[in-house]
Order: sequence, then C-alpha cells, then structure tokens
Amino acid sequence: MGLLSPSDVEYLKDLFSKEMQDEVKILVFKSDDKSKCEYCDITVDVLKEAAETDDRIQLEVYDIEDDEIIAEKYNVKGRVPTIIFLTSDGVDKGVRYYGIPSGHEFSTVIQNIISFSKGAQPELSEASKEKLKAIDKPTEILVFVTPTCPYCPRAVQLAHEIAKANENITSAMVEANEFPEWSMQHQVSAVPHIVINDETAFVGAYPEDMFVDYVLQHAR
Amino acid sequence: MFFVGGQTHIKDYYDIIVIGGGPAGMSAALYAGRAGLSCLVIESNISGGQMNETDIIENYPGIDEIQGAVLAEKMKRHAEKFGAQFHTATVVEVDFSGQVKRVKLDDGNTISSEVVVIATGASHRKLNVPGERELSAKGVSYCATCDGHFFKGKTVALVGGGDTAMTEALYLSNIVEKVIVIHRRDKLRATKILQDRAFKKENIEFLWNTIVKEIRGNGKVESLLLENKKTGESFTLKVDGIFIAIGITPNTELFKGKVNLDSQGYILTDENMETNIKGVYAVGDVRSKRLRQVITAVADGAIAVTHAAENYFD
Repeated sequence: MGLLSPSDVEYLKDLFSKEMQDEVKILVFKSDDKSKCEYCDITVDVLKEAAETDDRIQLEVYDIEDDEIIAEKYNVKGRVPTIIFLTSDGVDKGVRYYGIPSGHEFSTVIQNIISFSKGAQPELSEASKEKLKAIDKPTEILVFVTPTCPYCPRAVQLAHEIAKANENITSAMVEANEFPEWSMQHQVSAVPHIVINDETAFVGAYPEDMFVDYVLQHAR
Repeated sequence: MFFVGGQTHIKDYYDIIVIGGGPAGMSAALYAGRAGLSCLVIESNISGGQMNETDIIENYPGIDEIQGAVLAEKMKRHAEKFGAQFHTATVVEVDFSGQVKRVKLDDGNTISSEVVVIATGASHRKLNVPGERELSAKGVSYCATCDGHFFKGKTVALVGGGDTAMTEALYLSNIVEKVIVIHRRDKLRATKILQDRAFKKENIEFLWNTIVKEIRGNGKVESLLLENKKTGESFTLKVDGIFIAIGITPNTELFKGKVNLDSQGYILTDENMETNIKGVYAVGDVRSKRLRQVITAVADGAIAVTHAAENYFD
C-alpha cells in the first residue's frame, strides 16, 4: 500500500478536479545519501503519489549533487529535501519547504498545488496586500515546525501567502527535527517558531494582520 | 502519516456558520449537511481542535484507540462527505444583532448566515507565575505533541493532575529522559486507567502537594522554584523544560457582550444548545457544562443543529 490511502487518493482526485485550474510544477531536491537525508525517499514518494492524482501536477526530482546547476539556480544551499512550487509558467514565488511536509503540514502542500495552479494569487486581505507592497528588499521568512504540531500549518500557509504577495519575499517551512543545527541556531524549543531575516520574530499562531506587521517590522 | 486536508473556495452566505472546527463544530457540520443545510466551518488552525494535541483517544465508543489527529481527519472528511465546507481563517468580529448574522474574518471575507454555531473551544490555562511569559517558547510549553521533540533525552516538569496532564506525561515519557509531575494535591484527578499507567512508568516521578512559584532561567528554562503546600517549604528543581496542563479557559473573547456567559466566561445555553440570542448556539468546550470530552462535544453539535433545522429552516 502507498503512503496515501485509497480514500485519500479519491479525495484528492475529487478536490483537484474541482479546484485546480492550470498546471503546477513541483521541484524536489533530494540526496541518495541516507546520512544526509533520512526523509528524502519518503518525501519524493509521497509527492509522486500526490502528483499521480492529477495530470496537471508535474513533479521534477533533482539530485542535490548531480543537478548542481539547477540547485544553485533555486538557491537550495544543500538543504535536502527541498520542495519548490512553480506556476504553470514556471514562475518562482519564493514558496519553499525544507524537510518533509508530513502530518498536518501535508495539507499546506495540497493548498499550494491548488493555489499555484491558479497562478499563486495571495489569499490575503486587501489591507495586508497593500501593506506588503512596501517591502522592497529581499526578505526571508522561516517557519520552524514539527509534524505533530496542529498550530503550525496555518503559520506556514500564512508565510507562503505573504511570499506570493511580493516578489522580494521568500518563505519556507523548516521541519525542525531534520535541521537540528539550524533550529539550535535560532533556539527553537516551541513551534511554530517564526524567523524573519535571520532573527526570531515570534513564536505561536498569530492572525494574519499581526503576522504581516511582524514581517514589515523585520524587513527593515 | 500524511493528512491531505484541502480547501474549496467559499461563498458569502450559508444557512449555518460554525465557528471552530473541533469535534463539536464538525459534528454540527455533519448534521447540517444531512439536514440539507449549507454549512461553512471556520477554523483558525487545523480542524480537530484539542484532539490534535491528544496522542491517543480511547474513550470514544466503538473505537478502541485512535490517534487524536486521525479521528480529527476522519470527522472532517465525514462532514465534507455530506456537503460541509471548511475554511481556514480567524474570526475577528461577529454581528448577531439582526436576523441574518455576520461573521468577519482576518483574510478580509465577511460571511452571513441565518444560524451561527459557536464551537471555539478552549485554550490552555496559564500558571501566571513569574518567568512563565518571559520563558514561553524557551522551555515553557503548553503542547506536548508540538514541542516534546525538543526535549529528547532531557528532564522536564509537567504541571497538572487531570486527564490531559497524564496523557501528556505518558506521551512525553516516551521521548524525554524523565518527567516530573508537579501536582498541587495529594492525588490525581485523572481517570483511574491513566493514573495506573503513569504510576507504572519508571521515568515518571511525582511531586505531591507542590506548586510552582517561579520559572527561572537565563534565556531558557533552567530551574523551578517550588513550594510544598503542606510543609510550606520552598525548594528549587533543575529542569530543561516545563509543560503546563492545568486546565482550560474558554475562547469567548469575541462574544463578550454579545451572548450571556457564566462567571468563568463559558457560554450559557439552554438544553438545545441555544444561547440567549435566537439562532446563535454554543457547543463543545466553550459551553458552560460539566463534562468536556470528545463524546460530549459531538453530542452538543448534533443537538444544536437538529434544533436549528427544525426551528429556523423549513
């Protein structure tokens, strides 16, 4: 049996047939070295299973060493697994996953498949989109999560919507267990833990307007 | 495990809006769908509410044991099967003044409905001791399933003595080196079977009649200042983290002045789950009642929507 149950597969087929508009590209960077990447195989496998539920989902799997040039183009920095979403036109909106999006996080992958098939329009209030226009420098949002945290997917989703709203912003889920040193560097001991431009901005699940205000504060 | 929850685009009017996607809200949505009513569930995080923080649920009749998050996903899928829609957003304002109710969301949407079911549940209660706020997310946690991983091989304190506290202690005992349960009484309030399991665990220790006076540490939790209530004696305990499970406080901030609350802030309802405002119901942990469990939550949801269907829709 696959990683997704037959009923999950039926659910996704139905959902995607109703909600997807165009194609979506998912790039995944992996390493075959188990000591470097415990969860690469399973990440690739689950994405393959999800991609099989709709023809419009195009999955491209790259090896971090063999496909060095493309890894560099997308600034993967040796992190595996890395997942990147692109629109049907190949537009990179800065939406990333570092580590496996398992457990609750997988729902955000499903959301992004639908969103990118529709051109990755940010699902934010007009007020938030207007505020985010002010950001004119490269800004990176990292959301540290654990797969068993029910408060994390909403934070990841908000971070991703914020990235879609402004080309200067990139945002990523970081699975804390797979990147212990990175987590230690930011003293992550509770999740969701949000780092903006290399500085801890806040910890916890905050509503949209507060999240956006934190991004504006730290982007300066 | 992979949860494949998805969202569909939403309309601006539904027969019933359910605020909160825990078991009470999802049961309400299931009954709404089966009654032929359109229903939107607005959830600020992941559907399932506190079930998602419960490692194993084993008191839901007919299901021997199931992970809380899995039961949550099943309930969501079940409600969706009968037509309920789910939307992730935080409600920022409600207007119950007219016959048509209005709910404003943080993502800019405003949605109207004939009936609103409040199922916002409850949040973790805080200890309110010095150091708690300062060291929050620096070793102070309210969610073992969220943050337990960060304390692998370490010693943590767990404050509380109820079902939630023991469930969390047992969950943590599988990850950390040692769990020290700090409880203000000389016996636990938790269900007998959970007590027995906790007493059997070699790496769960108990400090009875003890309260936390202060959480100490420089940038992260290092120790606790405790007091034995019987002897009055104060002492410090070295720990790497502290998990707090001392009960819940209702999520009713939005509804103050809009519906009647009891002295502790829980929403008062009649036996049909209806509040003092016609067409506004409250179900689950947010409601003033005795027993707060998944099974009483789902019962509330069913009762509320059945009553609403009979009285507000033809």
